[in-house]
Amino acid sequence: MIFNGRCICRGKAKGEVIKLEEPLSFLGGVDGSTGDLRVRDGNVAGKILVFPKGKGSTVGSYVMYDLMVHGKEPAAVINESAETIVATGAVISSIPMVDQIPSVRLFEDGDIVTVDATEGTVDIEGIVLKEVVSSVVSRNGKCILEKRPDTNRSFPGHWSLVAGKVEEGESPVDAARREILEETSIKVGEPLGTMGPLYVREGKVLFKVHVFHFDAGAQEPVINEENEAYVWADVGEAKKMKTVTDTILVMQTFLG
Amino acid sequence: MDLTREEEAILNGEQGEGKQKAMELVTALGKIYGADSLIDITSAHLSGASYKTIGDGGLKYLEDLVGGGATVSVPSTLNPVGMDRTRWKEMHISEEFAKKQLRIIDLYGQMGIKKTCSCTPYVGPNVPSMGDHVAWAESSALSFVNSYIGARTNREGGPGALAAAILGKTANYGLHLDEKRKPTVVIDADIDGSVFSYSLLGQAVGMAIGSGIPFFKNISPEVEEAKALCAAMAASGSIALYHVDGVTPEAGNFDVSDLEVIHIGEKELQDAYDKLNKTDDVQLIAIGCPHLTEKEMHQIASFLKGKEKRNKDIEVWFCTSTEIREKCAEDVKIMEKFGPVLADTCMVVAPIEGTFQRTATNSAKAGNYLPTLCSQKAMCRDISALMELVM
Repeated sequence: MIFNGRCICRGKAKGEVIKLEEPLSFLGGVDGSTGDLRVRDGNVAGKILVFPKGKGSTVGSYVMYDLMVHGKEPAAVINESAETIVATGAVISSIPMVDQIPSVRLFEDGDIVTVDATEGTVDIEGIVLKEVVSSVVSRNGKCILEKRPDTNRSFPGHWSLVAGKVEEGESPVDAARREILEETSIKVGEPLGTMGPLYVREGKVLFKVHVFHFDAGAQEPVINEENEAYVWADVGEAKKMKTVTDTILVMQTFLG
Repeated sequence: MDLTREEEAILNGEQGEGKQKAMELVTALGKIYGADSLIDITSAHLSGASYKTIGDGGLKYLEDLVGGGATVSVPSTLNPVGMDRTRWKEMHISEEFAKKQLRIIDLYGQMGIKKTCSCTPYVGPNVPSMGDHVAWAESSALSFVNSYIGARTNREGGPGALAAAILGKTANYGLHLDEKRKPTVVIDADIDGSVFSYSLLGQAVGMAIGSGIPFFKNISPEVEEAKALCAAMAASGSIALYHVDGVTPEAGNFDVSDLEVIHIGEKELQDAYDKLNKTDDVQLIAIGCPHLTEKEMHQIASFLKGKEKRNKDIEVWFCTSTEIREKCAEDVKIMEKFGPVLADTCMVVAPIEGTFQRTATNSAKAGNYLPTLCSQKAMCRDISALMELVM
């Protein structure tokens, strides 16, 4: 599956992903002579190094050069947003680099990725994209969370916002309204807000999640067979529950 | 980004690999910051000169650049290095460090960069003019030429500024553009006007706003005061340009009547002082961040004349450039009764952490960086108060 980003330093590379969830300072974060990471297990040498963005000391550029001198540099660097330190390090060390990819969450450790930095493209082998919707259906600072059955294929036994697949030819907002009606029999109007899309990986499946906020009005949910139970929860209550990835983040965005 | 035909040719390697790499870097940085084109520069000032800060990776990078025949195409100066190049033993520097540091200076020299190493090139070897586009690293110096002189530069990093120096061009964005030089906040300052009060003012403003372009009222800095203000604001915040009502050359261009006004007075200055003072007991007093000017050398010498250093446990260093040290030979004689007058280095870029744990300075900039870059507990007071510690 090919994603488009932007060229920061030209070149091509293919390799295995090593991913960091947090911004990386090469100074202190990577050993310049061995390529060993100090912020997690692993080594960057020959890998496709994926992280959101650089941070920290400007000396980090020279740590990248040091890696290159020792033959321990990553095969390519992928960022969400390039900043000066890593961009400088990549260019002076001739490491292909792409930024403005949608999210580091596209990737998992061990993915085989082909980077064509000159064209700004990133090809992740063997993954399938599924477009889904997820909605905060709220009233008075609380929203509906539904409990998925233990037999569910995706996030079994977790509490979830009102979510489902986008059907062929359907717009995300229509899909959101349909799912809410099917799963709760609540009819909603225009969304109060939207965010994202967010990306969630589950094995080889990459979910692209379109997120909406709707007002439930005075309607009480009547759930269908897809879920076992529902509750009205605020952010504090949801934090104590086993929820699907990003549920809290999304609730915080819309409910405060 | 729109490149000229010649710039495209450089990017495609038609003028050699050295220029190609420089062009790749300048255009990559331009892309990140949304530049639409490149712009000719008249000078550069480079950071990344101390072996302590660039390490073996940086040294190898410079070796490779020189090996590839890179040379600068505009007048360029260099930041302070990790030691006085002749008196490094007085700074407790190891042979190994000294050897590598001297090699770094030599490599910059081979690229055509002036080998006096100072953070105040604007008082001597590298003085831009109003409206000049330049590529300067060194946060305090670039703020000085932006603000006090009215030249135009962004906060360049070491390799970016070097690439710009090689090309004679940098990416056209940010502070190169008229609309990005407008003040963002008014600072109503109430200070006593001493150089040290400007340091505290800068510290307080950086703490209050972080980034932005302050427009000062009720102050009238001369070179030394402006130098202290620049250095403090660039270290406690990331401020690269400010205007001073009735003083700096661009201040008259702006209507600031709609801007938020922040008052900096006794309370804010005290908070700034407290932030910079974390010890009452020191092993080293280091003065000259940014480097001492001729006027400051005279002032310190006249203050110290006829006095004696009684406390032998505290070392004293004065930091300036080679030119100023040579110009002020009489002052140096008096000052050296208290401690070495070191040239082309300073307490922040020298590896003092191998020798000292507690250091005093008159500089808000050093006060910010001594804890983070040199693992020191810091004290920050005005020069006379510091010198009284050893009298």
